[in-house]
Amino acid sequence: MNVEQTTLPKKYHDAVLHWQRHNFPDYGLLPENWQKYFPNDPEFCLCAKMEVGMGDKVEVGDAKGEKRREKPAELGEEPAKHLIAIIRAQASTEFGSIQQHEGTLARAQDDEDRFWVLRVMAEELRHGYQMLHLLVEQDWSAVSGQKAEEIVEEILSMQTGSHVLDAFNLEYDSFVDNVVFAAVIDRVGKYQLSMQRVCSYKPFAASMPPMLREEAFHLAAGVIPLRRWVQRAAQGNALITTQAIQKAFNKWMPRGLEMFGHEKGGESNIRFGFKNMKNAEAQSLYYEECKRMVADLNQRFIRARLPKLSPEEAEALADRLMKDRGKHEGISHEDLIQLPDKAFFRRKGDAAFTMVGFAGEAFTDVEDYVRHLAAHLPEPYLHSRDMKQYVESLRQVAAGTMTTDQAMKKMPALKRVGGMCPCSRSVRWVMEAVEELPAAHSQS
Amino acid sequence: MSAVAEQIRIRSLTELDVARIVAIDERLTGVYRPDVWEGRIMYYLRRDPDACQVAELNGKVVGFMLSDLRGGEFGLEETSGWVERFGVDPDFQGRSIGRRLFEAVVEHMKRHGATAMRTLVERSDSDLASFLRAVGFEDAPLTALEMRIA
Repeated sequence: MNVEQTTLPKKYHDAVLHWQRHNFPDYGLLPENWQKYFPNDPEFCLCAKMEVGMGDKVEVGDAKGEKRREKPAELGEEPAKHLIAIIRAQASTEFGSIQQHEGTLARAQDDEDRFWVLRVMAEELRHGYQMLHLLVEQDWSAVSGQKAEEIVEEILSMQTGSHVLDAFNLEYDSFVDNVVFAAVIDRVGKYQLSMQRVCSYKPFAASMPPMLREEAFHLAAGVIPLRRWVQRAAQGNALITTQAIQKAFNKWMPRGLEMFGHEKGGESNIRFGFKNMKNAEAQSLYYEECKRMVADLNQRFIRARLPKLSPEEAEALADRLMKDRGKHEGISHEDLIQLPDKAFFRRKGDAAFTMVGFAGEAFTDVEDYVRHLAAHLPEPYLHSRDMKQYVESLRQVAAGTMTTDQAMKKMPALKRVGGMCPCSRSVRWVMEAVEELPAAHSQS
Repeated sequence: MSAVAEQIRIRSLTELDVARIVAIDERLTGVYRPDVWEGRIMYYLRRDPDACQVAELNGKVVGFMLSDLRGGEFGLEETSGWVERFGVDPDFQGRSIGRRLFEAVVEHMKRHGATAMRTLVERSDSDLASFLRAVGFEDAPLTALEMRIA
């Protein structure tokens, strides 16, 4: 590949390895098993990779046609502040997903699935490393007000609960989450990386193609096991069901949709030349792509259950089941997977706290809605702090004692409460002191 | 250029192409074998998704070509692009889709340092051999050998 590989200065490289020892203890299994699961593939390299031969001209936005920027100071203050926030968020997601995957990695039923996820984690570590490279190779202090050391320490100290985006603050309940996360949340990552290929800041743009190539494997590490699981489910394997997969989709899809940012936003990303699509446009393409993924999974299920059907007959059966919500040829529509409505279980964006059900139905009674969520989400997730906090906020929004904006901001976060270790465990669940809230309008 | 050729979009392979590749293979061979293709596509995606190309018409994949950049095999030190599998939906054959897929693969291989394209073809498959010759393949000095051991 036409890439230049580089490593971070030793102190930062060592900080990443230190973080890995605390947060990613299974990392060492990868080189030991590489030839078994990835024979003839180039060995994993913990390094930054920059694509060679990216164009020199800005592709979109106000500066379209001008020379791509190579230093933060060339961007201007507002765009530079905006971009460093994007890079920090990107770094946070990379390290955050490793922390999530690690919790349930060992529960995989198949070693092949497990080692695919392990490689995904290692490559996410490399992606996080790549973002740190962008943050330390140039001086961002004029816009961040922080030294490079402080930025790196801040990112490496984040835990599940304190990451920038909500999807990275949810614990996994089982290995089903590892796989559905790769299929659903990594797909958002693919969109972000694809959009950022045009970035007017050249080092960021040049970081994208190598990450995208690796991301293709990450998505496959979600979709291929899902295809195999639905086949097994169709053949009567009681250890994996489409209902379990469905509930995991219901847990992750709303967070995936929110990762694109508010549906009305994204204008400044285009103006600054950082991305080539607004939030709503990218989110809509993503949702359609997820629909296609689910339709493929359903075909895999139907043909495994009814091998005598032709492809056309299997497609017709899926359409019929989805349309009449019935049961035909021994298959119920509930055996198939369906995407939740875009507004289901949302806490950010246009649909935040609007009480829209799985199929798009509107709820007016908050307790009815909570029961509806309980029926559609994985049971272990119902017992989580995240869910408790969401329901408490939802009740307040419905009662008119909290605005939607306040509810969106009022999620618990893990905060560092001391310690100098960059991956410090000295973080605690901290609720921001909530100011006395003025009476607010109801969301109904 | 025909209207169809103009609408065809050539792009890199993704994991969601599995279903259509399985379907094209089923139409070509009469055998439904999703597990085989899931394994192969995983292999290519983890190595280099851009070395594999698919042809899309109105959002539907109608052809694919899976290939890989290698060097050092069989004493061939020069970096080569190997075409392993390809197929075009029978409803869309004869419209230069295979050629366009091949050109996209060759372009990728050249950019990444390949100096030759290589493949293997069954002697009995004259249609395949004539397609490969039409896009520029010639007899190679190597001979494929095999020995049955079971």
